[in-house]
Amino acid sequence: MRGLFSVLLLALVSAVSAVSSTGGRLLVVLEEHSEREKYGVFFGDLEARGFHLTIESPKSESLSLFKHGERAYDHTILLPGKSKGLGPALTANTLLDFMKKEGNILIALSSDHAIPTSIHSTLLELDIHIPSDKGALVVDHFNHDSNKAAEKHDVLLLPFPQALKPNVKNYFAGEGLIAVPQAVGQTLGNESPLLAPILRAPNTAYSYNPKDEADIVEDPFAVGSQLNLVSAMQAHNSARLTVVGSAEMLQNAWFAEKATLAGKAVKTANRDFAARLTEWTFKETGVVKVGKLIHYQDEGVSKKMNTSLAIPEHNPTIYRIKSDVNFQIEISEYSQDRLAPFLPAPGDHVQLEFSMLSPFHRLNLSPISQTANSTIFGVSFKTPDQHGIFNFRVNYRRPFLTSIEEKRQVTVRHFAHDEWPRSWQISGAWVWIGGIWVTVAGFVAFVAVWLYSAPTEKSVKKTQ
Amino acid sequence: MAAPASDTLLQQFTGRKTRGVLRFVILGLIAGAAVSSRLFSVIRFESIIHEFDPWFNFRATKYLVQNGFYSFWDWFDDRTWHPLGRVTGGTLYPGLMVTSGVIYHALRALTLPVDIRNICVLLAPGFSGLTAFATYLLTSEMVASPSAGLLAAAFMGITPGYISRSVAGSYDNEAIAIFLLVFTFFLWIKAVKNGSMFWGALTALFYGYMVSAWGGYVFITNLLPLHAFVLICMGRYSPRLYVSYTSWYALGTLASMQIPFVGFLPIRSSEHMSSLGVFGLIQIVGFVEYVRVQLPNKQFQTLLRALVFVIFVVAFGGLVVLTVSGTIAPWSGRFYSLWDTAYAKIHIPIIASVSEHQPTAWPAFFFDLSMMIWLFPAGVYMCFRSLTDEQVFIVIYSVLASYFAGVMVRLMLTLTPIVCVASAMAFSQILDTYLDAKIPEQGAKENGSSDPAKVAAAVLPDGLRSTRNPLVGIYSYASRLTVIGASTVYLMLFVLHCTWVTSNAYSSPSVVLASRLPDGSQHIIDDYREAYYWLRQNTPDNAKVMSWWDYGYQIGGMADRPTLVDNNTWNNTHIATVGKAMSSREEVSYPIMRQHEVDYVLVVFGGLLGYSGDDINKFLWMVRIAEGIWPEEVKERNFFTQRGEYRVDEEATPTMKNSLMYKMSYYNYNSLFPAGQATDRVRGVRLPAEGPQLSTIEEAFTSENWIIRIYKVKEPDNFGRDHQSATAFDKGHKKKRASKRKGPRVLRVE
Amino acid sequence: MAPKKAQSHTAPSAQSASSTPAKSSSKSSGNALDAQEIVLGVWNKYVEKTPQRVKLLDCFMLFLAVVGALQFLYCIIVGNFPFNAFLAGFSACVGQFVLTASLRIQTNPENKKEFETTSPERAFADYVFGSFLLHFFCVNFIN
Repeated sequence: MRGLFSVLLLALVSAVSAVSSTGGRLLVVLEEHSEREKYGVFFGDLEARGFHLTIESPKSESLSLFKHGERAYDHTILLPGKSKGLGPALTANTLLDFMKKEGNILIALSSDHAIPTSIHSTLLELDIHIPSDKGALVVDHFNHDSNKAAEKHDVLLLPFPQALKPNVKNYFAGEGLIAVPQAVGQTLGNESPLLAPILRAPNTAYSYNPKDEADIVEDPFAVGSQLNLVSAMQAHNSARLTVVGSAEMLQNAWFAEKATLAGKAVKTANRDFAARLTEWTFKETGVVKVGKLIHYQDEGVSKKMNTSLAIPEHNPTIYRIKSDVNFQIEISEYSQDRLAPFLPAPGDHVQLEFSMLSPFHRLNLSPISQTANSTIFGVSFKTPDQHGIFNFRVNYRRPFLTSIEEKRQVTVRHFAHDEWPRSWQISGAWVWIGGIWVTVAGFVAFVAVWLYSAPTEKSVKKTQ
Repeated sequence: MAAPASDTLLQQFTGRKTRGVLRFVILGLIAGAAVSSRLFSVIRFESIIHEFDPWFNFRATKYLVQNGFYSFWDWFDDRTWHPLGRVTGGTLYPGLMVTSGVIYHALRALTLPVDIRNICVLLAPGFSGLTAFATYLLTSEMVASPSAGLLAAAFMGITPGYISRSVAGSYDNEAIAIFLLVFTFFLWIKAVKNGSMFWGALTALFYGYMVSAWGGYVFITNLLPLHAFVLICMGRYSPRLYVSYTSWYALGTLASMQIPFVGFLPIRSSEHMSSLGVFGLIQIVGFVEYVRVQLPNKQFQTLLRALVFVIFVVAFGGLVVLTVSGTIAPWSGRFYSLWDTAYAKIHIPIIASVSEHQPTAWPAFFFDLSMMIWLFPAGVYMCFRSLTDEQVFIVIYSVLASYFAGVMVRLMLTLTPIVCVASAMAFSQILDTYLDAKIPEQGAKENGSSDPAKVAAAVLPDGLRSTRNPLVGIYSYASRLTVIGASTVYLMLFVLHCTWVTSNAYSSPSVVLASRLPDGSQHIIDDYREAYYWLRQNTPDNAKVMSWWDYGYQIGGMADRPTLVDNNTWNNTHIATVGKAMSSREEVSYPIMRQHEVDYVLVVFGGLLGYSGDDINKFLWMVRIAEGIWPEEVKERNFFTQRGEYRVDEEATPTMKNSLMYKMSYYNYNSLFPAGQATDRVRGVRLPAEGPQLSTIEEAFTSENWIIRIYKVKEPDNFGRDHQSATAFDKGHKKKRASKRKGPRVLRVE
Repeated sequence: MAPKKAQSHTAPSAQSASSTPAKSSSKSSGNALDAQEIVLGVWNKYVEKTPQRVKLLDCFMLFLAVVGALQFLYCIIVGNFPFNAFLAGFSACVGQFVLTASLRIQTNPENKKEFETTSPERAFADYVFGSFLLHFFCVNFIN
């Protein structure tokens, strides 16, 4: 709701169309003001998209991610600086707290600069690993820019990343080649489903520390596509953190440079990629929103009597077992500047679970209609033959998409006493019904005859 | 108490009519005494529902009053047994709620708007007055002397055995069930005496009411057939018995089947088979008897006996076969524990864990029945002397009920009425003997009014006494005075005892505790309500609260929050799940709690105050019940030290120390004491210097005296970490960098 | 179920009301002609001596027994699918039967001494009361 409000507000304030779905206050932490020029185009692009940049030095007294316990900024970019510490305002705990409040962070690393300890421990806490030695960088002897790094092979030229998996949407597609100079490679922990690589190193790349030649032979930090140049982390509350292995790739110097890959002259498309990256990190893309969510009892044709008037009650809190239920959910996706109908990637489905302790139904939701900026997914099913407290649960978590976790608790009750078939509706019971009524009829007849025969009885008595 | 005595004294001055009025007044006074002695709890504390089960009954009654009978009948309660819910309308005995609902609406119709809570609080005392009346009726059916009836009514009115379950606020099924029990027996005796279908049908109606009110109806279901059976075996079959038994059984069984909770049980379950069997038997006996009348024959007697025996054997065999083959439900566990007191302990910990189901300790008999315990056998003996049909009933009733009362504390309640009746009979015999001798013509008059069978019974002892008394002459006056004086003293003592027991032992609501301050003034400990109201005020409406099942009804009633398990222990597995969550390590408990959508966990901790009914003392039951379902994961042995001790101090086993229950109980408890001085006042031990740490739950509320502690279950960590490391990180322990990996590298696969 | 069967055994009792035949035939099984005579004798005695109202009662009981037996047979052959319906139907019969038997016992002049307090009129009123209760329960139970 707040997101929507700020969207409206910002749309009114600035003529610039594109803006993040969560707000435009962007903090850039940059140690030396002089370096600002190096990132001029990058910053310019961000401002053009509607962000309000505040550039602060980590040493600044006034720097604080929070104000009155709330976020002071919506997003943060941490650019590398000279010093090893980031100061009291940017400890690992504050960074995580910032993310707990749904702030997004883009961390840019560079092998030229020391990596601050707070960033180190933040990344470690999120299960993203970077080489512990200073100066370690990624080299590739096959995919390097022979123009600028003919000797060192440390400027990688890579195509835009493909979709992570066939049924995952790709928010980082583009044309051209990305130059990744002097990158710090990252590896991702194996456990966490919250991590995803954005840009992986080619198979021929490896991490290498120029100061320690021996190490690479014995125990390289990581090689091949295990090595990430850009990786992403999206927390449960959809706060996003992106680690860019090379801060240089965001600099003007590499935004539209001429480079040479395997003898061919190419042009780098870093500007595009930086835009994709910031769009995703700052929630301009890959944001899904749930609109209306309704479920109602499907009266069907059995209750013909009042269907013409009765509109099924929406979102009742109680259902009966074995009744027909309709479920609808409205989902839209925020892309750049507006909400658009959301459609899952081909081969992927939004699913509805109807669960009590464990799912009793897990159903694919199919798009049944579309409005101007949303898709309505729906499914209908029969409640199971089990009473209890159930949840309509839509739990949709995909890499690069904000998570949908909707739960609606409903009660499924047993048949009420007047909902069972009456005895005469069961043909098997006719015999017994007959039995009862024959008995009753016999009784009535008997009583009648008894009363009628009263005088004769007396006479019988008398005769005896 | 002296009322019946004075009644007899006054008889000489008054006519029949006046005596009738007097009797009525006395009964009214007895009822008044019965009601008022039950009001101690209201005066001492306040008008509040007591204990555990009454809270559910109260909640159900409110639902009934608000939503009407039909929706009460179809009530699916989604606020208990989360997430299973409970088909409450079909799994309770609705008699109690419907009764108070009817009273409520009746009073409103009379433009007397009374709060439903007050009706519920005062229902039990009100019905105890009726019980006294029913006891009077029942006793009057047994003996001719009306003073016995009045004595019995007075006994019934104030005996602690009955008061224990019917003080104001103890709004439980027993509150009305005992009245129904006594009244049903009265109607039955009436039916047997008169051989009337009308009384039989009334018996059946009240039996139906009883079935709708209390599970103890099985006692009637078995006692009446047994009575009939014994009468048949004694050769006392009469057409009257046939009429009363068959009309009771045919109508009563149908009536009992109207209650949804009972349903087909009267046909299916073994507990009810005896009545069915006797029904069949009485048909045969009736038929055979009929034949015999038509054809008197000496050989017939033997044939008859053989026939009865054969049929009994066949029926019993058939019952066994059907039970084994599963057509008839086998006996329920609670029932087995009636025969073998050790059964429950071994097989069904959940039944054994209820204190009500423990065997009775012998002092309890004296405590609850006082002097009646020695008058009772005398009364039973008197019944043996003149064994009429109804006195056979007393004998059977007293034998059965004595046994059951010895087996289960709760069943003391069914014993109480018959003890009152029998001892009143004995006592009135004494009084009559020693008072009536003064005025012989009074005795004659009285005997004349009763039926001849009684005269024979009553005249015999009287005759003996009267032949002796004139002989002894002057001494008789002294001896009379001595005996009467002694009896009066006994009665006085009895009243004193009853009042003392009632006011001291049975009037505590147990929701509110009372203690004495050093200066003698009363101090109210109100932690339960404090905590429940905290829940009510500070948590979302459907926040699920996990606690041990004892507190389920109270949470539902007072805090109005959904609970996982409650005192209606119908699902052992679900209770075991809670037991497992409580007795396991946090890492094991957390997924269980998440799966059951638990928001808050509530524990009762008496360590600070020395309140011994707390969860650590109940903990072993949780472990045992959990072990019953997951013997691999929860082991009772691990909670005992090497030497087999159950300890909570330094020496406690690691399993104990890591269990969620232990951690929740002692979390932060150290901070109340100087370092190393933390003491648990219930167990009387010093606790480890370092208290337990919690990571998956956090303390939300602790009541004034630490009796109730409430914890909130944390959400999963935002960054996918486990809670231990997240807590460690928040405390400032940074993760060590993965230095050199050991073993093969684990590659990430997308 | 055994008692139930016993119940349906009672059916012939009503039929051969004074039921000497069963008795005598078992004793003198060999002589069929003799037995027939005895049956006839008893039957005649029954027809002559029994008050008309008792005969009426016997007829009704016979009728109930037949209905009950039919229902029970049907249950055995076809099965007791709506169990509550079967119970209601069958117990209506059984209940009515025992109530009628009770009425017979109470009104039979032979049992006069047992029921001094109960006049036949009172017994009949009780009977109607009981029957109404029974019918109410059964109809309610069958739903």
